[in-house]
Amino acid sequence: MTVRAFARLTSHFWWALSIAALGLIIAILLSIFAFVIVRGAPALRPALFTTVTSGVAGGLANAIAGTLLLVSIGLVIAGVVGVGTALWVVEYAPQWAARAVRYMIDVLAGVPSIVVGYFLYVALVEGLGWGFSLVAGALSLAIFVLPYVERSADIALTNVPRELREASVAMGARQGVTMLSIDLPYAMPGILTGLLVAIGIGLGETAPLIYTAGWSNYLPTLAPTHSPVGYLTYVVWTYISQPFAASHALAYAAATLLMVFVFATNLIARSFVEYRFSGRHSH
Amino acid sequence: MAVRQGELRPAVMQRVRTQPLLRYATGAFALTSFGIIFLMLLFLLAYAFPAIRFNGTAFFTSPIWNIGNQYGSATVTRAGFTAQAGASFGSLVFVSGTLLSSFLAMIAAVPLSLLVALAIVYRVPASLKPLANAVVELMAGVPSVIYGLWGMIVLVPFIGNRLSPTGSGDGLLAATLILALMVVPIMVATTRDVVQAQQASIYEASMALGSTSWQAVTRAVLPSVRSGIAGSVLLAFGRALGETMAVLMVCGAAINTLPHGIFSPINTIAAVIVSQLESALTDASGMAQRSLGELALALFVITLIVNAVARIVLHGGDRSGAIG
Amino acid sequence: MLARRFAVALGLSVALASCSPAAGTVRLLETGSTLIYPLMNLWVAAYQGEHVDVEITTQSTGSGTGISQAIAGVAQIGASDAYMPDAAMREHPMLNVPLAISAQVIAYNLPGLGGVHLHLSGPLLAAIYGGRLAYWDDQRILAENAALRGRLPHRAIVPIRRSDGSGDTFIFTQYLSETTPSWRSGPGFGTTVSWPASGTVGANGNPGVLQTCEDAPYSIAYVGISFMDQVNGAHLGYAALRNRAGAYVLPTTPAIAAAAAALVSRTPRDERISLIDAPGAGSYPIINYEYAIVNPHQPTLQIERALAGFLEWTLSTRGGQRPVFLNAVHFIALPPVVARLSRDQVARITSP
Repeated sequence: MTVRAFARLTSHFWWALSIAALGLIIAILLSIFAFVIVRGAPALRPALFTTVTSGVAGGLANAIAGTLLLVSIGLVIAGVVGVGTALWVVEYAPQWAARAVRYMIDVLAGVPSIVVGYFLYVALVEGLGWGFSLVAGALSLAIFVLPYVERSADIALTNVPRELREASVAMGARQGVTMLSIDLPYAMPGILTGLLVAIGIGLGETAPLIYTAGWSNYLPTLAPTHSPVGYLTYVVWTYISQPFAASHALAYAAATLLMVFVFATNLIARSFVEYRFSGRHSH
Repeated sequence: MAVRQGELRPAVMQRVRTQPLLRYATGAFALTSFGIIFLMLLFLLAYAFPAIRFNGTAFFTSPIWNIGNQYGSATVTRAGFTAQAGASFGSLVFVSGTLLSSFLAMIAAVPLSLLVALAIVYRVPASLKPLANAVVELMAGVPSVIYGLWGMIVLVPFIGNRLSPTGSGDGLLAATLILALMVVPIMVATTRDVVQAQQASIYEASMALGSTSWQAVTRAVLPSVRSGIAGSVLLAFGRALGETMAVLMVCGAAINTLPHGIFSPINTIAAVIVSQLESALTDASGMAQRSLGELALALFVITLIVNAVARIVLHGGDRSGAIG
Repeated sequence: MLARRFAVALGLSVALASCSPAAGTVRLLETGSTLIYPLMNLWVAAYQGEHVDVEITTQSTGSGTGISQAIAGVAQIGASDAYMPDAAMREHPMLNVPLAISAQVIAYNLPGLGGVHLHLSGPLLAAIYGGRLAYWDDQRILAENAALRGRLPHRAIVPIRRSDGSGDTFIFTQYLSETTPSWRSGPGFGTTVSWPASGTVGANGNPGVLQTCEDAPYSIAYVGISFMDQVNGAHLGYAALRNRAGAYVLPTTPAIAAAAAALVSRTPRDERISLIDAPGAGSYPIINYEYAIVNPHQPTLQIERALAGFLEWTLSTRGGQRPVFLNAVHFIALPPVVARLSRDQVARITSP
């Protein structure tokens, strides 16, 4: 066989393997989704959205509201701080400082969620006396997902072609204008990826919230402190341990809702970005 | 003078109309990011200090974890700090479990992620791409508790019935597979992004020179985005090191015993902190809690070392500074 | 960004929709034991129906967390499967109020022997979990199960324990400590112990233990009695345990009640007593009080009243001690003498 023919054969082989890999991932995801939805089906009714968790099962209104609040506030914090940090690292930071910040951010990714949660418990819940609270919970999520937001933004901003930025400078644009109209839009898909990964991870975390948001069987009061908040992952984690089938169904229903939220957010955000920012890249 | 990827050339830099407000605002954010991690590190150091003194070097060499007799009044004092009688805190089981499961998970996950990302960029038709992307990001959105439950109810029995000689599937293999699944979406998402953004001209140039499509990808495109991929690998590794809930439910929660095969029960630092924090709170002397803090500190140090080593290894080929 | 705006809008509409509590609504937090959590949920749901001015949130976090948060004042009721030890009581004199009686079952997965009740004892279990007894057909097991000679397989036992700190571990290890001196001076008892390195597998939570037991043939596990239905549903067997009098007893309601009754006279006023290995021929040996750890000094009169009101309801035979609640979790009611002692303790709750 010639070298060329062998290379072609190898090429076909690896592409087939890559498709098999994609197939494997899709199959596993479907398995997980089916696993969750089949077990949650008995509890999936409209009343889930209007009643609070009580007794053996009940509804998920309090948990849904709490999750939405915690994740949105946490994401805003993480998004602003993360993208801001990435901008500084890429645009302004001297080499040594950029290295230091990126290093610490990577280290943060390795901190277990429980450590973040317990740290905030000691510092905020007990230390500052805030008690289980919305702010502490949102902060714990924000800190935990910060690395994903920052690194994605970082990588995306670094890859903005120099020519585009130099062209902007040559036209006399101020730095802020360059950033807003050149850097950020070009990097938006990457930043978006970071935010979406962060949403996914933030929605799915339990340990940090147990020690900061606590849990509440009632709708959130929106008080920033001294008021515990419910969230869907608590239901999954805790109601699975109950001896009642209705509790298990509720737990899986909560899990189904979480996955649906992530899916919907992804689809909406991706379509939005496609619509607004398509055509910026040379394909 | 070498210029980082994307960095403006010095001649151009002089003409930039800088805005100090922006510099300070973004600088403040960067300081916040850096600061929060630093604060946590300091907190852990202060919190774990009594345990560090009490446990000494045995912490690193002993596999025994014993919070002591909570219901007796006898105490033991070492280096000026007191704990309940019988207390002895050794981290060997947890450190070895953490390192083994994370490293093995990455060995499985990195090739898999690359293959999946390449399949999405090059083989999935454009009309199906949003769906494929959504699937991958959906995987990142599966709550870690659900990975744990699925692992416990689907994966572990599978391992126990088909593969394991003891009949029990909880152990290193289960933990490794679950961790690999959890980090794949992170790497796929980033790899896909950087490849998608960079690849067109390089790919076409390579093909024009006569390479096969696979050669074009592996020998031309991937090397050009190596730093972005490496960045996501480090991030994923961090996630693997710190993952708690999912591992907790499938690892077998080994205590006082080191693993001797891939079917042996293991325990990781993050999992043991979650499962033992509760009991540690019953320790009147507080030493159990602080030893858990010392464990968290150990994980911090492991992460610091791994990231430093990775940077030294990768820095040779990193022209962009994106890894830092 | 669209996603963010949508989220903020949703949050605002939630704010408008959620009724702020009327002035005078008291919020109580109960946290702690996972064993009593199902019962607490049933109680709170029923109590809320009659008392809309009290909002009680229940959490399942673990006995240790329950105690520490009750002490810290973060929670008003710290549910615990274990009473507070002397050292802790000296620092923080809290009320340990029994609310119900729970028990534990030793389940096992022996293919073909599902309907049979093995005779097991504390020393046997201590040997199994201590790594000194490896096979189901060991002479020591056969000595207590002569009728099963030839039916027990030569297979390695897989002992399953709890990986999380739990009251189940606490009472199981108490049973081992009471009956086996080498265990008492070795691992001892607690919500978590330093298990001997012996091939045990840890699982998270009672359902985790059950799942693991179901999946691993020839395994043995200790499970809270609230999961009795699941044990039967999974066709796992459960053991008759040897009590102090030497008889082998199954975890039936009469046996649990007999054990509780036998120790009523010995229950001190602060009600801190272990119910493990009670005397009496018909007593089941692994039972325990489910405690509410309460601070006798509450910050306001409102909280004191709400707290005392709820606790008294749970202790009343017309309230929480009714079969409709207890049967759902296979717990038994407090003997009347103990209920009275508990009510006396509740009466000691004060506010400035």
